Amino acid sequence: MAKLLEGPAMGLFQKWGMRTPHHLVISGVEQLETLAAANPWMKDCKMVAKAHEALGGRFKLGLVKVGLDLEGVKKATKEILVREVEGMKINQVIVAEMIDHDEEYYLAVKSVRDGAEILMAKFGGIEVESNWDKVVRTTVPVGEKSSNKQLIELAEKAGFSGPLAEKMAAFAHSLFDCYDNEDGQYIEINPLVADKKTKELVALDAVTLLDGDARFRHADWNFTFASEFGRAYTESERQIMEIDSRVKGSVKLIEIPGGEVALLPAGGGASVFYSDAVIRLGGSIANYSEYSGDPPGWAVEALTEKVCGLPGIKNIIVGGAIANFTDVKVTFQGIIAGFRKAKAEGKLNGVKIWVRRGGPNEAIGLAAMRELKNEGFDIEVFDRYTPLTDIVNMALGK
Amino acid sequence: MSIIANENTRVVILGGQAGINAAKRMGEFCHLVQKPFYVEAFVYPPDAGKTADIQVGGQMVAVPIYKTLDDATKSHPAVNTALIYIGANRAAQAAIEAMDNKNITSISMITEGVPERDAKLMIKKAKDTGKALNGPSAIGIMSAGKCRLGVIGGEYNNLILSKLYRPGSFGVLTKSGGLSNEIMWIISQFADGISTAIGIGGDAYPVSDFVTYLEMFEKDPETKAVVIVGEMGGNLEEAAAVWYGAKPRRIKLIGIVAGFCQEALPKGMKFGHAGAKEGAHGEGSARGKADALKKAGAIVPDTFGALGPAIKKVYEDLKATGQAVKAVDVAPSELPQLPRKVEEYVKAGEVVVEPLFKSTISDDRGDEPLYCGYAASELINEGYDIPHIIGLLWNKRLPTPKEAELIKRIIMLSADHGPSVSGAFGTILAACAGINLPQAVAAGMIMIGPRFGGAVTDAAIWFDYGLKNFPNDIPGFLTYMKKEVGPVPGIGHRVKSLRNPDKRVQEIISFVRKEKLTTPHLDYALRVAEVTTAKKDTLILNVDGTIGCVLLDMGYPVESLNGFFMLARTIGFIGHWIDQKRNNGRLIRMFNYLVNFAVTPKRPVPKLEKK
Repeated sequence: MAKLLEGPAMGLFQKWGMRTPHHLVISGVEQLETLAAANPWMKDCKMVAKAHEALGGRFKLGLVKVGLDLEGVKKATKEILVREVEGMKINQVIVAEMIDHDEEYYLAVKSVRDGAEILMAKFGGIEVESNWDKVVRTTVPVGEKSSNKQLIELAEKAGFSGPLAEKMAAFAHSLFDCYDNEDGQYIEINPLVADKKTKELVALDAVTLLDGDARFRHADWNFTFASEFGRAYTESERQIMEIDSRVKGSVKLIEIPGGEVALLPAGGGASVFYSDAVIRLGGSIANYSEYSGDPPGWAVEALTEKVCGLPGIKNIIVGGAIANFTDVKVTFQGIIAGFRKAKAEGKLNGVKIWVRRGGPNEAIGLAAMRELKNEGFDIEVFDRYTPLTDIVNMALGK
Repeated sequence: MSIIANENTRVVILGGQAGINAAKRMGEFCHLVQKPFYVEAFVYPPDAGKTADIQVGGQMVAVPIYKTLDDATKSHPAVNTALIYIGANRAAQAAIEAMDNKNITSISMITEGVPERDAKLMIKKAKDTGKALNGPSAIGIMSAGKCRLGVIGGEYNNLILSKLYRPGSFGVLTKSGGLSNEIMWIISQFADGISTAIGIGGDAYPVSDFVTYLEMFEKDPETKAVVIVGEMGGNLEEAAAVWYGAKPRRIKLIGIVAGFCQEALPKGMKFGHAGAKEGAHGEGSARGKADALKKAGAIVPDTFGALGPAIKKVYEDLKATGQAVKAVDVAPSELPQLPRKVEEYVKAGEVVVEPLFKSTISDDRGDEPLYCGYAASELINEGYDIPHIIGLLWNKRLPTPKEAELIKRIIMLSADHGPSVSGAFGTILAACAGINLPQAVAAGMIMIGPRFGGAVTDAAIWFDYGLKNFPNDIPGFLTYMKKEVGPVPGIGHRVKSLRNPDKRVQEIISFVRKEKLTTPHLDYALRVAEVTTAKKDTLILNVDGTIGCVLLDMGYPVESLNGFFMLARTIGFIGHWIDQKRNNGRLIRMFNYLVNFAVTPKRPVPKLEKK
């Protein structure tokens, strides 16, 4: 799943015939004069300026400024672009026209196993969450298109009537086209509003999730995906994602500041059980990581270095089930090389390492890990006869 | 019995190297259970018409490769199962073709990263055609003792340890490939092993869901209980719970769900598999799934660690009620062993091999090359230089600092001698004819012989002979040479003379004198030259003779000496080739005026005599 920032998302909406407010994404205040000369709306309309980053709660953070004229936009842009949130710089600002409207509506398309659900409501904004049971929905089966009749009925069920019902149906039709053709997973427009001046429907804000795996058939996806957890990716996360995108198998890293147990487990399934085990025993995890699919040793080494560099960690869990085809020797060589580098850089002081693993070449891989004891590492190594998550109990002294 | 994969399964594999690797693992399984190999064909257009050779026990089985699935199933009518090992951009199309093929009833897809839209189209197609499709991102299917589809089960020793050579009473369903293997191992430790284990893949929309397989297990008398490993996201576990709770079921259900950590983590943080994501409104949480399974009557251990004991308890109950009969285990030593490679027998000291040849100078079997036992990187870090490497590889010892300096000077002085000498000219001719670097340098190299560069070895041989047999009788040596050999190699130069001495020779001599090296051969050669220059002033000790003597004085084997000239001059040859390439030198053709055409003038061809 891959999230789009507002700028590229609005671009896709326009491609599929949905109106959005006029908008521009800028990275410096000096760009505004030239842009204003080419975009008359910047002189005619009231505007909003927002940090164009994957950040939750931007309003509370003071990263959204509304009701601005061009001078106000300049001032707001300057203010936003010097801000840092959790150590990360704000790099872009999106400037959009404010659309004058009375009512807010809700429209979404969601991928489900049998097709897609189209959701609609004659209310929007924060009212949606509290009135979730009043949101109406209809299903479009796999491989089919939504019919005009089906969408008009949906709009009427939601409480729309007359020309507005037809407009809602038409907008929903465009949204479905966008979802269907762009490998959408979840697109939620909230609010959708009727412009007081033009009476046309305009998508003011949206959550847009596309299927990153479908990138190969979308040559025009010229955007990068944003993180989905309310903050931008860290530099380390980006570096590991970059490696992940070009190796066989996978390496993954998400940092969770403040945790004391670092995770370096193998497998998309086992890694979650390791996270569960730490949290169940009252521990806190410093990251989520995982490597699988027989990745090359150097990729695992790079991941290991990042994991060893997590601040304040006390334990590292090198866990894993019995691999089918991931070579334990090769991947462990990568981990060992990463540990050695980290130690040479003065990291891993007072950090205890716990290993449990099985799979191809397990005996050689585990023996190499045990050798680290002779190099002064604080490490305990277990084989398949120790149950999967027991090392977490040992690490946390439970 | 078992489900999906059994004794009648016959396989076609769609895909290249990854498919071949899977076939090898399946070959190992066939060897373990001592049954014929059931992979009959591959479909891989680039290699169509060839065969893939798969080791099954001690035999190589040649499996034909076809261009299309239809070609394969026409030639192999018994094939009923397709394994898909094709890239994500073409996998769904291949799966849909496979579902359209009337011979194929079952498909398993290992491909990861298949777009969800494609997965949903495959779900629809499977429904429409009534075919079973496992995957995408599915590790495979293992029916213990009967059939293995894909690499599930891992390496050979794990098949033995997890007792996959014979069926047990437990079915296994997991999203994760690694965990399918782990659960099979746990069941072999805490109970009697598995009937069939299926990795359904961790994508958001696995084509076959848990319920599909639960219904099959329910109808399989061999399976007495099923272990499901679920995770947050989607609703397959909830659907399984609904199925299990809907009416009394024959099979026991044990479930475990990953993803409780989500409750303690920032919202939206996505872990694990593609499908492991909670809905925007909290649906699909691990707790919701575990609760649903519990409510439906499944056994749901609190932790992964408690899973083994829970399985054990179910197995004890099954035994107590007579439903599970104790499976007969075979001692690992009684099971067929995987034939080992020759290397492994050698390592174990179980076989004697006559080596093809002996090598005494270098060894690259470790992390890096060792030159006479010294690691190359350590030599570098210690400050050693190219002459030391030459010393080690040609003479098996590190030269002294003075010797190393001398070797360096010899190479520097011999690196090139202009474009006109035989060797460089040979390289230039070749370069201008468009010949590549290695061949063009070789063209220069083949000029090295008695008249060009190659006198170093000969000079050394004969000065050494003289020193040994005529130590104090230079005229006697010269008489011997004149009579038995000819001109003394290493003596004489085309242009240099006493009055116009060879600077290179002077350089080497002054160095050895300054450094006070002991040089009996050089001293002898200079005495010879004193006599010969008295006769004719170009009969000086030339550079080949000088080099040959000092190298001999350093203890280098006679056979190695031409090597110094070759090594040094290679630098020049490469330079000349690059130079001509850069200049875009045009094809060289000899000018007629430079050839003495001492030929017979044109004349009539006589008539060929007929028989």
